[in-house]
Amino acid sequence: MRSRTRPVGARAVGSLEVLVRRSESGKDDRFVVESHPGMKVLDVLVAIQRDHDPSLAFRYSCRVAMCGTCALRANGTSVLACQSSVPSGAKELRLAPLAGLPVLRDLVVDPAPFFARWAAVTPYPVPDAAVSAPAVVRPDSPERRTIDPALDCITCGICYSSCSVSDEGRDFLGPAALNRAMVLIADSRDTMRTERLARIGRLDGIDRCHYIGACSACCPKRIDPFDAIRRLRRWRVTGPPAAGAT
Amino acid sequence: MKPSDLPGPETIQTDVAIVGSGGAGLMCALHLAERTPGSDVTVVSKGIVGKSGCTRMVQGGFNAVLDPSDSIEGHFADTLAGGYWLNDQDLAWALVNDAPKVIVELETRVGCFFDRTPDGRIHQKAFAGQTFDRTVHRGDLTGLEIMGRLRDQMFRIGVRELEDVRALDLVVEEGEVSGIAALDIRSGRPLLIGAKVVVMATGGAATMYSLATPAREKTGDGIAMCYRAGLELRDMEMLQFHPTGLLAGDSRLTGALLEEGLRGAGALLVNALGERFMVRYDPERMERSTRDVVSRASYTEIAAGRGTPAGGVLIDIASVLGTEEVRRRFPGMVDRTRQLGQDLSTGPVEVSPVAHFQMGGVVTDVDCRTELPGLLVAGEDSGGMHGANRLGGNGVAESTVFGARAGDTASEMLSGISTGTSKGASRGASTKGRPSIAAARGFFAKAFRALGADEGEHPMALSKELKELMWRRAGVVRDRANLVEALDALEDLSERCTRTRAPGPPQLNPTWQEAIDLENQVTAARCLVASALEREESRGAHYRSDFPETDNARWLRSVRVRAGEGGRPQIRTVPVELSRLAPPGHDATGDSGDSGGQARTSP
Repeated sequence: MRSRTRPVGARAVGSLEVLVRRSESGKDDRFVVESHPGMKVLDVLVAIQRDHDPSLAFRYSCRVAMCGTCALRANGTSVLACQSSVPSGAKELRLAPLAGLPVLRDLVVDPAPFFARWAAVTPYPVPDAAVSAPAVVRPDSPERRTIDPALDCITCGICYSSCSVSDEGRDFLGPAALNRAMVLIADSRDTMRTERLARIGRLDGIDRCHYIGACSACCPKRIDPFDAIRRLRRWRVTGPPAAGAT
Repeated sequence: MKPSDLPGPETIQTDVAIVGSGGAGLMCALHLAERTPGSDVTVVSKGIVGKSGCTRMVQGGFNAVLDPSDSIEGHFADTLAGGYWLNDQDLAWALVNDAPKVIVELETRVGCFFDRTPDGRIHQKAFAGQTFDRTVHRGDLTGLEIMGRLRDQMFRIGVRELEDVRALDLVVEEGEVSGIAALDIRSGRPLLIGAKVVVMATGGAATMYSLATPAREKTGDGIAMCYRAGLELRDMEMLQFHPTGLLAGDSRLTGALLEEGLRGAGALLVNALGERFMVRYDPERMERSTRDVVSRASYTEIAAGRGTPAGGVLIDIASVLGTEEVRRRFPGMVDRTRQLGQDLSTGPVEVSPVAHFQMGGVVTDVDCRTELPGLLVAGEDSGGMHGANRLGGNGVAESTVFGARAGDTASEMLSGISTGTSKGASRGASTKGRPSIAAARGFFAKAFRALGADEGEHPMALSKELKELMWRRAGVVRDRANLVEALDALEDLSERCTRTRAPGPPQLNPTWQEAIDLENQVTAARCLVASALEREESRGAHYRSDFPETDNARWLRSVRVRAGEGGRPQIRTVPVELSRLAPPGHDATGDSGDSGGQARTSP
């Protein structure tokens, strides 16, 4: 066994059996990786690629939970590989691609269906063309209090993948896109809020949600799409919130 | 793969090919679509669009003059002083003038919403090296707000997005760019993209160091492609080290940043002996000194054996602010340290200087034009804007400001409208824009060589060697002996890069991609080391222990590098044009001769 630098605080080194779903065979490949406390799932993948199979395909970019591209399933749960620790004392780890999206190779999925639904809610604002200066909006206004906690979505697709309704082939916009729609409808700078509300009220919209809440439970950024959908259902009755009165 | 087995390339024809989907690339696409509706725009993205660069990771913010009591001249002077007067003053002037316009555009057209003061106006915070609080931000996730909204604009304007496609090389025919040779990473097939205009915006090559902050995809591809196409690079020795990167051993989390705001809020830096060592390096500013000074101080402590066993120093904010306050003000940073089994809110955390940002790059004018007709360069791929050191908050400002300018210029080139100057007319869009397969064949053959090769070195092993070499011999503190040794070792690595082996299929094969990345990183590294060897003084991010002083009399000069014989870096130096502002006490009658006639090739 080669000697390597251990992460700060590393104590004992154990061995971890990793089962990785491979796309060519459709089966799991088995690897044994040396583990250390605090080891991330991403570190496990890098170790497999470096020491066992250089052709193993997985995606990552920023490694600090900003890009969202390393999302996968670890022991059945959708997580970001860069933020997910191997449970201490674990002897086995099962890795599979994110559910509900087409697999391109091994753990790499095509996010296109997720973004097609994201695009369907018109995810960009339609501002008043006459406005030429940044809006004056108090940070403690109801509007910002609604938007701010819902804003830092990294479009990782974990909520989409975890939702039992938004699986590929079913007709549901999904939690992330609806959360984005909520953010825009709450934004007093947008001129298309009524149209947006009508859009998310269609058949593939908010009524498809079964209120299971897996989206909010899984979100690595602690966003609450479940709550966003509840707001949207309310606004459908009351109309979009007045500026400063959400 | 043998050249005879190489599949023929699929071809795509477009008006403008933008290489890179970070802040510069997407701002460029946006401006182009608005200036020239109906133009055919293609974004070539090595990973997922909007997710494979560093703009998204920006924590701190965006410097722009918005307050009536602030001034454009103030931002300009801060940028030049921060850059140790090596900046291209025209580029810096363009940045400070455009930054407020881009902030307004991002807020009123793109959909960004930055943090507000209690009365509802844009809040601007203090950042190191600035005489006015002018950093616009959204919490400590400013980049995410900008990139998220910019990415959504792409759904509106409907550009062609080539996701998981990497550019391999610029196709240059009859003295102008006719397109790019590219590789579809998903299918593993070659792709020939014909374009009237190519915009290079891929990001820098700080990943050539063992400790580095950037996203995985950023391997200096743009800089390397431009160098191979014969363009001149400037200031390549100027590579910024950020003083507070996390240490996590072999974990990929190593190098993740702790933000500068910690030092601003009073955090202490101590060595393994418990000494606040900054007192020896900058007793006045202490921990709040600039990135270059703090990085060098930490590095020196570690090198002198006063570092921690893991090779770092300690940052301590818990004992200054208390647990609750740290958790309230820096929740993201506390989370980040907890990921490593440490906790910033309860005690000191180990940090090290980490390679962060490349100030050097391709020589451009203020409109992002280069010496090669049909090619524009924007963002970190270009050089000169930041001089010898970049101020925090000027990075995302640069990528969006110059991305926007590149879009405007490309639009102008497409419509054939001359800027009214002879320069504008002679540097129009490529008249051809249809690359011949023959001109690209060599690029494909080179890229496909490693795939399925029977024998050869593992690219990941070579990559590790490169990173350790650069850290040890061309890092925070440099000297002649180490740089000479590094240049020799890089020549050897460069040769070994042509004999790597990537087993597995062509589709989404990470080792094959790493083989291609490696060649680009080594190219950028050679330019860096050759330039660092040339600059016999210390300035900003470039520190020579054998020439520790800053020498304005001799070295208000920019080091230029271009591919010479056998691709070896050929160096010359040119005086910095102090066209708008001179450093305090500078004698304008000093040496300003051009050494262009004494160009030489490095060993």
